[in-house]
Amino acid sequence: MKSLIKSIWAVAKREIDRMSSGTLYILAVLIFPVLTTLFFCSLMKEGVPAKMPIAIVDLDQTSTSRKMARNIDATPASDVVMSLQTEKEAMSELRKGSIYGYIVLPQNLQADIMANRQPVVSYYYHNGLFIAGGLLRNDFALITHTLSAGINIQKREAMGQSEQEIMAQVQPIQLNMHLLFNPRANYTVYVTTIILPIMMQIFILMMTVYSIGIEIKERTSREWLKLSDKSIVVALTGKLLPYTIIFLILMMFQNFMLYKVMAVPMNGGVGWIILSSFLFVLSYQAIGIFCIGLLPMMRHALVLAAFYAILALSLCGFSFPTESMSPIFQIWSYGFPVRHYMHIFQSQILAGFEPIYSARSIIYLLLFLLLPLIVLNRLKSALIYQNFIEDIHKTDIQAI
Amino acid sequence: MKEGFMNTLKIWLREYQVVLTDVGVVIIIIAAPVVYPILYSLVYYPEIVSDMPVTVVDLSQTSESRNFMRQLDATQELKVEGSCISMEDAVQQFKQRKIRGIIVIPESFSEDIANNRQTNISAYADMEFFLYYKTLMMGANFVSLEEGKQIQINNLMQKGLDLNQAGAVVDPILPDDNSIANAVGGFATYAIPVALMLIIQQTLILAIGIAAGTARERHALGTLVPMDKDKMGTFRMVFGKSAAYFTIYALLCVYLIGIVPKIFGYCRMGSFGELAALMTPFLLSCIFLGLTLSVLFKTRESPMMLFLFTSFPLFFLSGIIWPLSNFSPFWLMFRELFPSSNAIFGFIKMETLGATVFECKKEIMAMWIQTGVYFVTACIVYEVQVRLSKRKRAELASTVAQTE
Repeated sequence: MKSLIKSIWAVAKREIDRMSSGTLYILAVLIFPVLTTLFFCSLMKEGVPAKMPIAIVDLDQTSTSRKMARNIDATPASDVVMSLQTEKEAMSELRKGSIYGYIVLPQNLQADIMANRQPVVSYYYHNGLFIAGGLLRNDFALITHTLSAGINIQKREAMGQSEQEIMAQVQPIQLNMHLLFNPRANYTVYVTTIILPIMMQIFILMMTVYSIGIEIKERTSREWLKLSDKSIVVALTGKLLPYTIIFLILMMFQNFMLYKVMAVPMNGGVGWIILSSFLFVLSYQAIGIFCIGLLPMMRHALVLAAFYAILALSLCGFSFPTESMSPIFQIWSYGFPVRHYMHIFQSQILAGFEPIYSARSIIYLLLFLLLPLIVLNRLKSALIYQNFIEDIHKTDIQAI
Repeated sequence: MKEGFMNTLKIWLREYQVVLTDVGVVIIIIAAPVVYPILYSLVYYPEIVSDMPVTVVDLSQTSESRNFMRQLDATQELKVEGSCISMEDAVQQFKQRKIRGIIVIPESFSEDIANNRQTNISAYADMEFFLYYKTLMMGANFVSLEEGKQIQINNLMQKGLDLNQAGAVVDPILPDDNSIANAVGGFATYAIPVALMLIIQQTLILAIGIAAGTARERHALGTLVPMDKDKMGTFRMVFGKSAAYFTIYALLCVYLIGIVPKIFGYCRMGSFGELAALMTPFLLSCIFLGLTLSVLFKTRESPMMLFLFTSFPLFFLSGIIWPLSNFSPFWLMFRELFPSSNAIFGFIKMETLGATVFECKKEIMAMWIQTGVYFVTACIVYEVQVRLSKRKRAELASTVAQTE
């Protein structure tokens, strides 16, 4: 037992030496993960985009339309940056990208309202923009609804209804929207909390494959295995242990940014954060071992890992719900630890549910840890026989 | 002059050989661009969330509340999975992820309506996705407004107004909702154009980087430029290599921009000429940026380790997810370093809004500036590398001469 710890320690020390010798390690393990974390925290720090540029096309130019234009300017989501003469101009500005939407107050607006002719107020928004399109649509719907209700009230006043009566009748059914267990409908909570682990999985996965693959490529794998008393388990544990610790610290840095700096609501214990982060790092290291064990030629294993890691954003069910995908992708989505991590985050940390509701996610994460067992023997023989090395011929030496 | 041309041609053809005989590079520049768009399109195929399962907590238990429930079920967005008698029951179902939203009809629902009082419907959405929130809100809001209008019209008609008059009081102006680009709000329509442009830039830079890393591994003294060829001048290298990548990617663009959107039915409003005006500076700036960055990659694995991760931050820098109007000045400037930022925005404008070349002036100009700047940097780094190779070769020759 004592000798076991000793050899793991020896391997870990060897790995730390290797790490500190190359800039690639320092960039891929420290600098880039920290910079991307800061990037995402800084980019969407507002939470919800406000004051998005829109235009008004007032074809009526009456006191009613001008009053409406002033009311439109007062809503928080949009900011009227230009008043234009024609719809054509507005469409061109929208195409150029200087505005994201516009509203058209039609000719004869005032006269039509007076005469009960129900004029049509059209609004246009750039729905190729994911967040902005949806928010502006809501904003425009709210604007027209408010304008409509304002006239509704005036007409009822003219009919002699009392103020109290009007307020009760003008909107008989009021809808109150709530987010369950998430008091704040903002994109920091929704996007940043998930995109940070998605970034981290790339770094963990690629680094795991690299740190093992480089031993095969540079033919140092026998020396590594010898230091581990010829035990593949000791070899892998010792090698990956420093990364486990570093990536766990990086995960805690992300969590610190999220819960302390960005003030994401936290209803679960710190214990859940540490446990889920720990399992997250371990499962991705396990997948990394699986990749290099399956394809012991490093460059092929890296392509495999990259292919898988890039798909996480689409398939973990964060950008688009898995329930709406076809069955094959629903099953595939279980193969991403970040999905289970996300579920633990949502039900334990954000909502503070009873632990039983996360038991399944924990079991899934633990299952990933069994993956390396499948390839252990194959990997060990690759380390010993070094039979997966590409022969590099020096192509320009003969000439000299 | 003629010799220069012949040499450029030689380097050009040699680059095809380097790229196309390397399985790793072929996977990145052929397999990835072919497979990813199809995979993404299939993942997002249903495009929108419809018939989202919700439960109704019906505290009123009247014919009015049951009618309201039927109206909710009839919307495209929602599917009522059943009703609960208490909020606790509903929350239980929610925790088990059986339902994605809860709608509560108050006990006083029918009374309120009968007595001309405002009644309050509460809707609780799943926090997991904004799409769920959006879907629940659209469905519930639509039914609340429509039912509300009906109630108002009935009340006003009891007061002696005719249907037209009552309608004009309730709806004095009619809103007309026009979604420009992506009318149905399909998710693939947001994501695929971004993915297409990013695939081009990322695979190009990775492939050029991998080829450069491999070259260093294959050359005796780790130089980027082979030592045995003394006719490899800077401009010949840069032009020859660029020509090879440009032609390969021009062909790929036919598939990515011409065929993929056609198969899956994405917006295709840009004409060939307009798209060519956008893609030419994009490809050139990506190639020159790739050549510039390639000197940083010492081994063939380094690009995958040091550049792959930028794909997600670049996705967000495009301005398609988080609006550009809410970028800080620093990120607005940082964004201009990468050709993809302007290409994505320009591509979406052309294909989904029908913007002309003139209306994409800003994006196209920015990419030509990038082309110019990165061409200069690529020439500088290659000049340095060419000189380095020559010097090493001279040193080696002199040592060989001395030993002899």
